[in-house]
Amino acid sequence: MNTAKVGAVLAAGVALVAGAWVASRWYAPQPVAIQSGVLLGAPRDIAGFTLTDHDGKPFSNEQLRGHWSLVFAGFTHCPDVCPATLGVMKAVAQRLGPRAPAMIFLSVDPERDTPAVLQSYVRYFGPAVTGVTGGREALDRLCASLGIAYVKIPGATEADYTVDHSAALVLVDPQGRVTGYFTPPLKVDTLAADLSGIVGSST
Amino acid sequence: MRTLAAVALLACAPAQGCPGLEIKDAWIREAPPGSMMTAAYARLHNAGQRLLRIDGALGADFAGAALHRTVVENGISRMVHGEPLELAPGASGALEPGGWHLMLMRPARALQAGDRVPLALKCGREATEYTFIVRAPSE
Repeated sequence: MNTAKVGAVLAAGVALVAGAWVASRWYAPQPVAIQSGVLLGAPRDIAGFTLTDHDGKPFSNEQLRGHWSLVFAGFTHCPDVCPATLGVMKAVAQRLGPRAPAMIFLSVDPERDTPAVLQSYVRYFGPAVTGVTGGREALDRLCASLGIAYVKIPGATEADYTVDHSAALVLVDPQGRVTGYFTPPLKVDTLAADLSGIVGSST
Repeated sequence: MRTLAAVALLACAPAQGCPGLEIKDAWIREAPPGSMMTAAYARLHNAGQRLLRIDGALGADFAGAALHRTVVENGISRMVHGEPLELAPGASGALEPGGWHLMLMRPARALQAGDRVPLALKCGREATEYTFIVRAPSE
């Protein structure tokens, strides 16, 4: 290939990329701006998983389809962040009423958080919240898909361990794909306003 | 006037434990039924002349109480403990959700909104007791 040919190929390549970029800007849906987190440019699929909800029923990808969901990973032995975040989720659900996303409390401490423990815990935060947990392998697979991390931290006794965990809320779209994250500090007003714009824009 | 204010301060600030430590809006988050864990919060002010180093808590209504701090680093929420909360003379601080708090383990009885619960803050070996009010979480 001589220099002229290389130049022509390069120019064509640049034109193609530029054209594609212009087209993507031109035809892309108007992005929804949110104040309390980030929306992904392209939603990410969630790998197949099966866990258990607080009533002991299976909870899998299917339960994340057909409606928006907001997933928070935590554990019931968490003194501060988890009840505070669930309190915010409860208030947001009340604020948005029937338009509210399904609120999912994903326990990353299945040893202590049996479905029965989760049931009395999540009921306190109202009917919008579903507690979910299950086998470690399925849990880890879902956390990986959601981009959630957690680490068990030993305590003074074997029973007193704690768990470091992601503080963000994961937004799942009605196709069951990860589509954004809300990050602390989580405030009812901003979260409700952000969610209102999102669920209103595409359902 | 200044004397009156000083007398009022002396009257409400217990002398032992954490001398000069005044607390306001002291509350405990009402926990879901059967919950093993909750937390207490308050606004703090050092009205005394000495640096205060709050390093723990005591509560007869709980199997354990400890001063902790929630930190979010790289998106991960974790607990820091064993670190004292220092208040210089005249300084204010807060135990608040998402920050410093008193972690309260295994309550001996179900605590409901409106209950009054004694909790002591420790500054070294001595402790000063205050009354905390149980509140249902709003937001």
